[in-house]
Amino acid sequence: MSYNVKLEAFEGPLDLLLHLINRLEIDIYDIPMAELTNQYIEHLHTMRVLQLDELSEYLVLAATLIEIKSKMLLPVHEGDVFDDDGTDFEPEEDPREELIARILEYKQYKEAAVQLKESAEERAVHFTKQPSDMENYGSIPQADPAEELDVFDLVSAFQKMLHRRRLKAPLSASITNNERSVGEKMDEIMGVIVRKGGHCVFDELFEEGDTGGLVVTFLSILELMKRRDVVVRQQGNFDRLLISLAIGGTEG
Amino acid sequence: MNDSKRLAAVLESFLFVAGEEGLTLKQLAALSVCTEGEVTEALDGLLAAYESREDSGITLRQYGGGFQLVTKAEFAEDMKRLFENPPAKLMTQAALEVLAIIAYKQPVTRVEVDEIRGVKSERAIQTLASKGFITEKGRLEASGRPILYATTPYFLDRFGLNSLEDLPPLLLENEEEEDTDLFLTKFQDMLEAQDEEGGSDA
Repeated sequence: MSYNVKLEAFEGPLDLLLHLINRLEIDIYDIPMAELTNQYIEHLHTMRVLQLDELSEYLVLAATLIEIKSKMLLPVHEGDVFDDDGTDFEPEEDPREELIARILEYKQYKEAAVQLKESAEERAVHFTKQPSDMENYGSIPQADPAEELDVFDLVSAFQKMLHRRRLKAPLSASITNNERSVGEKMDEIMGVIVRKGGHCVFDELFEEGDTGGLVVTFLSILELMKRRDVVVRQQGNFDRLLISLAIGGTEG
Repeated sequence: MNDSKRLAAVLESFLFVAGEEGLTLKQLAALSVCTEGEVTEALDGLLAAYESREDSGITLRQYGGGFQLVTKAEFAEDMKRLFENPPAKLMTQAALEVLAIIAYKQPVTRVEVDEIRGVKSERAIQTLASKGFITEKGRLEASGRPILYATTPYFLDRFGLNSLEDLPPLLLENEEEEDTDLFLTKFQDMLEAQDEEGGSDA
């Protein structure tokens, strides 16, 4: 059992970056890349000790920061701002532009999340009740047929039902026994094959049962093959598998 | 009893029985055999009466398009004594961020959410879906046909919103535009100055 500890609970590399920008009181539109990159990598070193799951994502951003930093070290081409005709103007693209846009977008949603939380908290102080059970008085017609329902209404109805069931679910669980053991199933399969005249198509043995049952059936067939009680054959590629009683029985 | 008071009382009894399912304006109008206008008026009256009555613990709210009777906020602490176990923490910061992105950008794919947060959001999306706040809403017709996610009416209710239009507006960073404006003005000035120079030479 290992424990993951989150330092100051950063929600990802952008969150850490935003935190650093706030703490260093950096102008987000004019980021000193060298300082920010150093601080960021310093934080990563601390986090590596904690073996954070998302370290790889933090490293991707570290690489981006270093790339931007190195781009900014390159001398800017200080040519004429204007072409010969004096009209065309091509500003050097700031390598930080994309990063700034990403940080700003993330910041927007981070702030929206705070507002959502507040509005959920405001809602949470109002309590309400489940619809009254009116079964004793007759049935209530469900949903106005004039309102068209689509598959998503069905899905949300289903989710609502699941939610209620969860609330009503007893806090204990019962464990049901496997319906059949492999040994019992093996006997049953042998019986089926004999009844069918010594041969049986593989698929026929899987026509019913839940996942557990199907797995038991499969294991039983493997066990029977291992004991050489049955032989499985296939006529050609992708043909159906045919299970037959082994000729000569179990002497081998 | 006059008609408008009677209507308010009838609406109140419907809402009492409906509970958290709520009833839409349309449903209330159909049930009370009145126009939507009359119902709205009666509901307004009902709300005003609840809010002014100090001896009433109930009031009226509209969440996810449906009207429902709820307890007043000021009695929340008293209400909590009714419950043995206080409800668990609403959700993690990660889940809230993912929910915010989905709420504002819906329908949206997981990859888009990941890109904005710079971190994988798969687990948070699963949690949100299992809690019924978001649901799959078709697939994007692009390579891989990724699943699109959208919020549910249950999300609106739990977050006290009547519709998606009630989401607080995203805070836009205006500084950027101002900056470019400043730059452009300066640039324009420079251009004009040059023009003037050229003009005086000729």
